[in-house]
Amino acid sequence: MAILERGSGEFRMPDVDAHRAWMREHKLREPCNKLMSARDAVSRFVVDGDYLSYDHCFPVRGPNTLAREIMRQRKKDLWLAAKFTYVMSTLLTAAGCVRGIDVGYLGLGRVLYRAVEEGRIKITEWTNGMLTLRHLAGAMGVPFLPTRGSLGSDNVKYSGAMIVEDPYTGQPITLVPAVNPDVAIVHVNQADVFGNCRIFGPSTLPQETAMAARKVIVCAEEIIDNGEIRRDPAKTTIPYYYVDAVVDAPYGAYPGDCPGLYRGDAEHMRELFAGINDEEQLAQYLERWVYRYESDEQMLHEGVGVQKLLDMGRAEKIREGYYR
Amino acid sequence: MSHVSEFTESEEMVCVAARLMENTTYFIGGGMPQLAVLLAQRLYAPDLMQVYEYGVIGPRIALPFERHLELANSKFNYKACAWLNMNWTFFHAAIGVLEYGMLGVNQIDQFGNVNTTFIGGDWHHPQMRLSGSGGANEIASFCWRTITVLMHERRRLVPRVDHITSPGFLDGTPSARESAGLPKDTGPYRVVTSKGLFGFDDETHRMKLLALLPGTTLEEVLENMQFEPLVADRLEVLPPPTSEEARLLREEIDPKRIVLGKGKTIRL
Repeated sequence: MAILERGSGEFRMPDVDAHRAWMREHKLREPCNKLMSARDAVSRFVVDGDYLSYDHCFPVRGPNTLAREIMRQRKKDLWLAAKFTYVMSTLLTAAGCVRGIDVGYLGLGRVLYRAVEEGRIKITEWTNGMLTLRHLAGAMGVPFLPTRGSLGSDNVKYSGAMIVEDPYTGQPITLVPAVNPDVAIVHVNQADVFGNCRIFGPSTLPQETAMAARKVIVCAEEIIDNGEIRRDPAKTTIPYYYVDAVVDAPYGAYPGDCPGLYRGDAEHMRELFAGINDEEQLAQYLERWVYRYESDEQMLHEGVGVQKLLDMGRAEKIREGYYR
Repeated sequence: MSHVSEFTESEEMVCVAARLMENTTYFIGGGMPQLAVLLAQRLYAPDLMQVYEYGVIGPRIALPFERHLELANSKFNYKACAWLNMNWTFFHAAIGVLEYGMLGVNQIDQFGNVNTTFIGGDWHHPQMRLSGSGGANEIASFCWRTITVLMHERRRLVPRVDHITSPGFLDGTPSARESAGLPKDTGPYRVVTSKGLFGFDDETHRMKLLALLPGTTLEEVLENMQFEPLVADRLEVLPPPTSEEARLLREEIDPKRIVLGKGKTIRL
């Protein structure tokens, strides 16, 4: 198969058999209780230098409790898969946790962009479609998948993709390498203690992200009984064996929305966006909302307060499609 | 039909884009494209189907807009036909069921190539880094016809973009997209700026000014571009927002003027 163009971006070469062997050795096949605190889950399963993939985005059903815990534990040299990143990559970068980013959509704000312009953060150029497809390849156990995206553009040059001559038709086609993240963090509506997960609403790619990753931490709005999972199995989209840790995290998507359950904290979001272009303000934001608390539980109780959390729940008028 | 005599550039751009729309599928990004489809659904194309990259097919969005870049929350997912995920929506576009793509962009060139990656310098040392593709590359690669929306400024309308994030007609040669491997018969369709409505010449694939937005002149359009577009023989001036368009936009769709406040105010 003739290679027509090969990207020069940094990426990890797929190794499907190494990944299978890792899964065989580490993924618990027998159901066991995986409930633990965010602190334990992050200290056990997120290691400096990991490739981290998170699902959905900071303003909507983001795994924000886990992201804050990663910042609190001052994890270093992470490489992020930013397939729908929005501001979470900005916060992790401001917190000094990030070495590099696979760009689908590069976060938000001048602080992050300056870090890229000045070369303090490395990036590899992809697109949302390439990154989601890379996760699908990782979830399928194949080393690459083809797409007709990014042909004719300049994205492939700075990615890890290549353009080849399709052996069937002779036409140019883009191949993207599988990604098997070291760790995935996903926020879900409901999970049982074994890790069977239900997600209500549309999404970026929780299923493939969990399947492709070596280690998976889910934070759940609600821990439900395994009997309830078995009563309505069609609702389970991530089966237990992919999941390594289940964190009981009501309001875990704070300050974002969890559709069908609560609206986001608009005041908090305004504060965040007001400081998104300024390093000093972002540092203050992190101090105020992340570092000064030992856990998100403490932050929600003392920093946000029960009244506001209740108000956020009341502000969500739409339950249709999520909880009924 | 009565028209308003005072409006912002973004209000007029939303109206111009909405009037182009028909009852079919639109794969769209946030901001002005969202407002245009919402207005079109009310007035011009009630069965228009919006598709969003995060898996939402055909929602009936619960208005109004409440904050900047409101996406993927319950109001925006409301009463959809399907909730899927990001891979599936790109597959839908790749297989050919999504007719139009519509994007807000930073920079565009004479062949409709779009740059949202960086401005100035080179990729390794950009003067100004931008967001990158997001889902825009897939939308511009796969949808049959792509509409782009941007403010009409010299730095945004250039002969050749610094980086092709999302493909237009590439170098403009007749089969450039197909030779690159992109789906046949796809490509840029219209460009709505704050001063003009553009299409593309069938043969040369060069951008062509089709009409002026109200409150501007041909000279002003050309002065604020770094390349010379083709110009239609008969150049009409598009009407300002109708009273009904303005009422819907201002009272029901974006009363907080989160998107509509952008750009200069024009008084006729």
